[in-house]
Amino acid sequence: MRALLPWAIPALALALVPLLIQSPYALHIFILLFIAVALGESWNVLGGFAGQYSVGHAAWYGLGAYGAFILLQRKGIPPWFGVWAAVAIAVIIALAVGWITFRLRGPYFVLASIAVAEIIRLAALNWKILTNGAEGILGSDLPPLQIAGTVITDWNSKMPYYYLGLMMAVFCVAVNFAVKRSKLGYYLQAIREDQDAAHSLGIALTFYKNTALGISAACTALTGGFAAFYVGFIEPQGVFGIDVSIQMVLTCIIGGIGTVTGPLLGAVVLVLLSEWLRASLAQAHLLVYGVLVIVVILAMPDGFVGFVAHRLRRKAAVK
Amino acid sequence: MKPLLEVRNVSRYFGGVKANQDVSFSVEPGIVLGLIGPNGAGKTTLFNCITGFYPPSRGEIIFDGQRINGYPPDKVCKLGMARTWQKVRPLAKLTVLENAVVGALCRTASVAEAKGIALEQLRMVGLERRVDVLAGGLPIGERKKLELARVLATKPRMILLDEVMGGLNARESEEIIQLILDVRKRGLTQVVIEHDMKAIVRTSDRIVVLNSGEKLAEGTPQQVVNDPRVLAAYLGDSGVGKA
Repeated sequence: MRALLPWAIPALALALVPLLIQSPYALHIFILLFIAVALGESWNVLGGFAGQYSVGHAAWYGLGAYGAFILLQRKGIPPWFGVWAAVAIAVIIALAVGWITFRLRGPYFVLASIAVAEIIRLAALNWKILTNGAEGILGSDLPPLQIAGTVITDWNSKMPYYYLGLMMAVFCVAVNFAVKRSKLGYYLQAIREDQDAAHSLGIALTFYKNTALGISAACTALTGGFAAFYVGFIEPQGVFGIDVSIQMVLTCIIGGIGTVTGPLLGAVVLVLLSEWLRASLAQAHLLVYGVLVIVVILAMPDGFVGFVAHRLRRKAAVK
Repeated sequence: MKPLLEVRNVSRYFGGVKANQDVSFSVEPGIVLGLIGPNGAGKTTLFNCITGFYPPSRGEIIFDGQRINGYPPDKVCKLGMARTWQKVRPLAKLTVLENAVVGALCRTASVAEAKGIALEQLRMVGLERRVDVLAGGLPIGERKKLELARVLATKPRMILLDEVMGGLNARESEEIIQLILDVRKRGLTQVVIEHDMKAIVRTSDRIVVLNSGEKLAEGTPQQVVNDPRVLAAYLGDSGVGKA
């Protein structure tokens, strides 16, 4: 429990932010940050701990987004119920995919993960009756959230999204914590370091990889559902596109793969950097963004966390 | 005594290459069986067949009365047979303690309990002061000991050691020999692949000699070192010359 204390303080501080800052733009940045943190931490369970570099996580993100959207649009089911159905669908599909693709190793697994996301994107593009194809779906107004007859929010400001996003980010960080300290976490890291050694020590490789994928896909789909309602519009390229997947991977690479703090730091850097560049450079921002990302990766191949940990270890060694 | 492991007429082919050909032997509980042979004799392939990494092309592996051909390695480990690797495989970015914990988790779901088991084994191999070091940073001698601690942490009934002394200096080899003898005292059955003849003679109760994938001889250490066929295999055309 003591290890959680340093996390509780900033989380509480963040809970107070909307009381002090009313600027919608500032709150918007925070919400983007929470989404990026949640996505980075989600990817980290599979990519970071188990070392299975999926570049197809947009599949689970998009399934969460489309699932929750379609259930509201067609069936009138509010997303706070509907998203769980979407999460379940994403997990079922993820496990079926994992069962097939986890026999592949290294770059072959990466390619397979990209292919799966592309297949699902193309399905969303062409299954027009269900998804409305390339035109996408514009979110209808959310019904007010009521608990025991009292209206909690009518979704007309950034405030409810802020708190929901914060909860989502905290949840995903907590999941990483729980995984890292459990038997599952040890086993996933063993698989990452050396699959054959792990296998010989009694670790059923496919079972544990699938467990990691299930958790990772569930968190990703949940965040996808939330992000979709925040943006209010979805279309296949926007939620199933490879840039969504790459963004998740990048968040972890920049921050430090396989650590709990890494994706958090990575998200802060990437969101602030991209917003700042967008505001100051207009069209050229993606170019500069790309170059900066490459520079950071070259300078700190183990991410921020790895860089700092290495420095600390050297300092300790000198003493 | 009823053998713990029986290898019955095991053959393993890779395309046209016969890595193992009709090999049979059995291992009684509590003994140390030495497995020797010149380079390329098929020792490691045999280990891979026994522990489930390659299913045998022919023949049977019986562990504790159960036929285990085709069982995946994790299941073999759960049944109580664990192996080390000739080329050590530390989980490089995990600490020494975490490496041993991964082994110990084979028998428990509790990380706290696994840490207890892991520390016990690390103490036994003499790595208790290195628990917080990253395994990737260990020198070769300590890596070999970590391999041993890690398999012992899985609480096996039998361990297969693939050249645990390979690449070690005389003092380090001596430590490993003592460890093998200590483990033997605890009643754990061992199959040991080793190149160093002196070490194998000191540790083994019985020795099986492989040559070109086939069993060449089997007997007590004295019988084997005096067997002219064994000497020929080692000193003859293969030219390893360690006998």
